[in-house]
Order: sequence, then structure tokens, then C-alpha cells
Amino acid sequence: MIRFLCVLASLLPVAAQVTPERLLNADKDPANWITYSGSYRGWRYSGLDQITRANASKLKLKWVYQMPTTHTVETTPLVVDGVMYFSEPPSNVVALDAATGRQYWRYHRELPNRINTCCGQVNRGVAILGDRLFVGTVDAHLVSLDAKTGAVLWDVPVADYRTGHSVTVAPLVVKDMVICGISGGEYGIRGFLDAYDAATGKRRWRFWTVPEPGQKGGESWSGESWKTGGAPTWVTGSYDAQQNLIIWGTGNPSPDWNGDSRLGDNLYSDSAIALDADTGKLKWHFQFVPHDLHDWDAVQVPVLVDDEWQGRPRKLVYWAHRDAFFYVLDRETGQFLLGKAFAKQTWAKGIDDKGRPVRLPNIDPSPEGTIIWPGVQGATNWYSPSYNPLTKLFYLSVWENRSIYRKGEQEYSPGNRYIGSVPLIDLPEDPGHGAIRALNPKTGEAVWSYPLHTKPWAGVLTTAGKLVFGGSDEGYLFALDAESGKEVWRQLLGGVIRAGPMTYQSGGRQVVSVAAGSAIFTFELPE
Amino acid sequence: MRALLLLIAAATLAAQQREEVRNPRTSPADVAAGAKTFRSHCSPCHGYDAEGGLGPRLAGGHFYHGSSDADLLNNISNGIPGTVMPGLFYSEDRIWQVVAYIRSLRASQLQPAGDPVSGRAVFRSKGCMQCHRVSGEGGRFGPDLTFIGESRAPGYLRQSIVDPSAEVQPQYWVITCRYPSGETSAGFLMNEDTYTIQFIDMEGKLHSVAKSDLKEFHTEKTSKMPSYKDKLTPPQLDDLVAYLSSLRSKAGME
Repeated sequence: MIRFLCVLASLLPVAAQVTPERLLNADKDPANWITYSGSYRGWRYSGLDQITRANASKLKLKWVYQMPTTHTVETTPLVVDGVMYFSEPPSNVVALDAATGRQYWRYHRELPNRINTCCGQVNRGVAILGDRLFVGTVDAHLVSLDAKTGAVLWDVPVADYRTGHSVTVAPLVVKDMVICGISGGEYGIRGFLDAYDAATGKRRWRFWTVPEPGQKGGESWSGESWKTGGAPTWVTGSYDAQQNLIIWGTGNPSPDWNGDSRLGDNLYSDSAIALDADTGKLKWHFQFVPHDLHDWDAVQVPVLVDDEWQGRPRKLVYWAHRDAFFYVLDRETGQFLLGKAFAKQTWAKGIDDKGRPVRLPNIDPSPEGTIIWPGVQGATNWYSPSYNPLTKLFYLSVWENRSIYRKGEQEYSPGNRYIGSVPLIDLPEDPGHGAIRALNPKTGEAVWSYPLHTKPWAGVLTTAGKLVFGGSDEGYLFALDAESGKEVWRQLLGGVIRAGPMTYQSGGRQVVSVAAGSAIFTFELPE
Repeated sequence: MRALLLLIAAATLAAQQREEVRNPRTSPADVAAGAKTFRSHCSPCHGYDAEGGLGPRLAGGHFYHGSSDADLLNNISNGIPGTVMPGLFYSEDRIWQVVAYIRSLRASQLQPAGDPVSGRAVFRSKGCMQCHRVSGEGGRFGPDLTFIGESRAPGYLRQSIVDPSAEVQPQYWVITCRYPSGETSAGFLMNEDTYTIQFIDMEGKLHSVAKSDLKEFHTEKTSKMPSYKDKLTPPQLDDLVAYLSSLRSKAGME
């Protein structure tokens, strides 16, 4: 009977599809992909197991959707009851038939001419609640669209784009709120995380990631530097429903490579922050890199896992940070539990028992340039990691490379870059290389590594078929054995992959989608 | 008709006004201030010394979207629609300083001492043409030099002649592939990814091979070009640098 009802449910169109309860239970509904990371826990894992290590080599193209854009595509599509929704850069949204790739509607946002984003006019995805979609825009608005038609329901300014603010993050829906971060760490913004009423667009709360003088943490900024302190929030966080905590990463302090004007630890830059979902009040924080001078944002998706830690059950956060260390934190207190390098690094002797890095000498940017591993883009970055509960391994895209960090003068002027010189990211004769790596999260040790000739900007997805899907800037989408790292399939898509793959069911059959070049590619097994 | 005349008069006036826009901030102090602004705001795409990167090289004085002072002021202030070039939120004075800095790069690349005509003779008599091509004449193993004076400063050209391995572009790295049969093939590396290699061998044949089909492969990042340090007299070297510097596109000249 239950089975019959399930079949019936899958055939009937459902009204007001995505309830808060459904979001809470997203991992029990792997036919759909209804939030950026697949579930609130940030795992980018799917319980679908029709594509396996035995049959993945037969994957073939199902459809391609080409976007009329010249901007880099970083979006993760959502799929809800047969409809795929994704953002198209700069700030457009498309809905299409997830079975055929044919378009239902496209929301096109008119943008002002002069928009300053540090790293391209990009967008990482949309969020959904009920039949409303939510998208952030590079002119720093948050927009709600009718999921059926693309009609604008509300459009509210998050901040002023003329002061270097933009929204590139995929929002996160929590209860009846839309949680939205901000970009602009290279423009001297003062970072924050916002919650908006999903029905009206009215702001419920704002947490400033840079406290002002007199507030706790305010003493970690010298002079007036807090006003332009950065600490943006441009990658989607996770939600611990049991504790009602939103856990989110913050970016670099501004200016990036010259800290002379911002003496102190610069809280809460480069940190994991845990906020009460209803009030936006800080419950705990953990700063990975106090007084960062290398642009090592903590803008990674927090991976929330409940597991045994040293003999007792514990609520954990797994976090592979841009600074080349893999961290484990206690999710109730933010207590540091483990810090272990997962890629070559030459800046820290290690992490002390409080979680503070023990820095090596002569690592700061200098006028003549200082060579440090990892490079400016970090040993990993914003692209999603994945946790697979079957293998209990943590998977991520890794960079092995260095940069020449240069320090220069810096001066703040609204809307313009505020970075303190320009590091040399790639050394032409030795541009570095990459890998997909599986870590044992209990130790931080690598279990296997799949080498890549170039440095990947794509997230990874794991599935109950014990596969890891990943991609490269070379344009290959590949599937690896989640236990051994052995390649079981690859396909050249002919354009850079700078987004995370996701998976869903179409007509009861598992498919895999990823953005590559300017297109969304969807793969299926033969009938 | 009268309307047309008025329109023509207005257009002529506008053109004159455009012509008349001249950078008012060109002192050495302005150039220095412009360099600072450039390093903060333009270098991420255009390179630390405007040598190019994600955005085009600006040191050569060749601007695809207009080369006049007014064009540069407009493009830096407002960005270039249809490209990723953003505008700057700065006063006109600050932007003029950036223009002055960009122009100063061009000045630093003025024709060096030496006689280009004699340099051409050196180029043709000392074997350069076996590997290098100028205006469709010459070999293909080395870089085509038809517009080399536009993209490379005289100092760089001089260094490349006396110490060719000082900086070798990846497309002139030499890859050697060894097959399981023991055979080898080698050539200039054209492209490489995790799984494959593309190269052109010394006979001009194109190869695309799977790394999994090779026993081993390695890449040499030194130049195949011999040093001309002891093969040219100092005046010959000056003349050759002067000749190479003179190889520029007319479109980039003002």
C-alpha cells in the first residue's frame, strides 16, 4: 500500500511543493535535490544508488541546456518534482523540464552598468520554499520569484552595490526565512549574514561578521578598520535543526594582503560562526586564521556529522579550509578537536590545542613578494566537499600550489578594490596541480588521491552507489570509486567545470547534472 | 535639410571636442599615483606591470576599445559593456592619473638605440630565420616575431637573444614521449591535461597521445634556441634589438 501511494505521489503534480518539513528531510527524498548542498547537513550526498561502480561506465548524455552567457557558471541546480531551477550568471534564473532540458521560463535581471565583483559576475544557485524561489543578484538584491512562472514576487536591496557589495551565494531557506550572505571582501565592505521573511522580503535579523567597538570581538580591530573589515559570507552554510543553529563560513578581512591598518585577530573573519536561527545571535565561533594576510577565506560548506569522537558520540563539523588544514570542531561549542594538513603548506608549524595556527617565520606578504604554499586561492576553496555516510570519508577538490604574496599600499575608497597589492597567483613555470582526495575525518589522513594535471574549481558529489562525481578545469566530468579512488568513467564536456555536480531521478531513473562551460549537462544510464 | 546641416555641425563639434580631450594629469607625480591605483584595481586582470592576464596587455599602447585619451577615460570610468571590464568609482582626476601611467608604459618602450635596417641584415644573416618568422617569411619552430616589438620591451628582447632560457613560454617547452616499444617522439608542448598530451614534433607533425599509452614522458622547460651572446658583436646586438623593436602593428601606433 505504501509503495502504491509512493508511486501515486510521484505521478501527481504537487502544489506548494517545498515545505519546511520537506527541507528538513531532504536526505530522505533523493529523487529531488531541493537545497544547495542536497540537505541541511552540507554533505552533497545522495541516497540514490542506481548508478553504481559497475554501471557508471555506461553513462551517456541525456540533454544539454546552453545558456546565453559569457560569465562563469558556478550554479548547482535544484530539482523539485520534475522541474529544474538554476541561476544563470550574472543574476538570471531558468526553470526547465528536468526530464528533457526544455525551458519553462527564464527570469532576466536588468543590471546597472558599473558593477564591481572581485572574481566575475557569478551566482551559485537558488533556494526554494513553497512555490517561491529566491536568488541573490550581483547588484546586491535578493529577489523572490514565482516558481511556476518566474514572475517577481518581491525584490529587496540587501546592500548598496556601489560600495562593492554583491550577492553571489545560493541562499539557504530555514523555516520561513531566507538566509542570505554577501560578497565584497575585496572592496572593504563590512560583512554580515541576513535573514529575510520568505513571504514578504522583510529583514528579520542581521548578524554583522565584523563587530563594532564595544561589542564582543570589537577589540580585535584597530582604529576604524572594523568599518571596512570585510568578512563576507559568500558560500552557503548549513543548518543544525536540532540545535536550531545556522553554521556559516566567513571570508577574508579587508584589505586582503596588507594588515597594517587592522591590527588584531580581526574577528569574525575567516571563521565558522554558529547563529541562533530565530534571532541571528552568535552562539559560538571558531576562527581558522586570526589576522589573515593571505586571503584564506573560510567560505566552505560546513559538513555536519554526528559520530563517535574519541569514544563518545558527538555533534561534529568537518571543515577543509583554504589554509590547507582539515579541521574537526564540536558543533555544540565550537571547540577545536583536530587540525591536520591535507595539502602542502609552508606557513604553519601546526595547529595548537586551542585551534590557533603556530605560524612559521617570514610568511607575511612583502613588497618584493613572499612565496608560500598554499597559494592565494587556497588548498581548497568555495567548491563543495562531500561526506558519504557509507564510507564515512570526507571528499574534496584540492590544489597543490603556491603564490608570490605581495604587499602594497592600500587606501579605502567606496566601491573600489581594497586589497593591498596583488599577489602572483600562478607561477608560469610551475602553475601547480590538483587532486580529488578522500580523507579519513577521524585523523585527517588521506585515504586516496586522484591526481589532476590542473587545479580544479569543481565541487564533488558522492552517492549511495559509492561513487564520487567531480570535475576539472580541463572540462572532464568523472566518476570515481568512493572507496578506492579508482576512475570508473569520464567524459570531456569541452568547457571548464566550476560548479558542483548534483543528482536526481527523472522518470524513476537516477541522472547526474553538472554545469560546464556555459551549459548544464545531464547524464543517464542506457535503458 | 536645415536639420541635417545642424546635425552635421553638431557631429563635427562633438568630434572636435573628442579630439580636444587631453589628459590634464601627466606629471611624474600623476604617473606614480596612477601606478598605485593601477596596482590595486587593474593589476588583478591586466597584470602587475600591465603585461596582461585575464585582461589584455596594456603596456603595448594597443587598445581594442579606443586609443584616445577620451576613450581611455571613458572605458576606465564606466567599464566596457559586453566584457568583464568594470568601471572604477573614482574622480576623473584619479582616472586621468591611471591613463598617464598606462601612457608612460608605452613611452618606456620607445625605439631603442641601434639601427633597425642593419639589425634586419643581422637577423637575415645570422640564422634567426631558420626558426623565426616575420611577415610570413622564415621558420616555424620559434615564436613568430611579426609584431614582437609591440608585445616585448627592448630589455626582454635583448635577454631572449643572449639568454634564451631565462623565460620560456610553455608552448616552447619540449616534451619527450617514450612508448612501450621503446620508440620516442618529441616536440613542442601544445596542450596537456590529466589524461592526454598534444604536441608538434620537429618535422611539423601534430601528435595527440593518451598518457596511459606511454611508458613515460618528461617536459624540458629550457629553450631550444642557442645563446647568441658570443655570436654577435655589441653593435650587432643593439641593431638586432632595434630591428625587433621596430616590428609593430600599424594599428597600435599613434
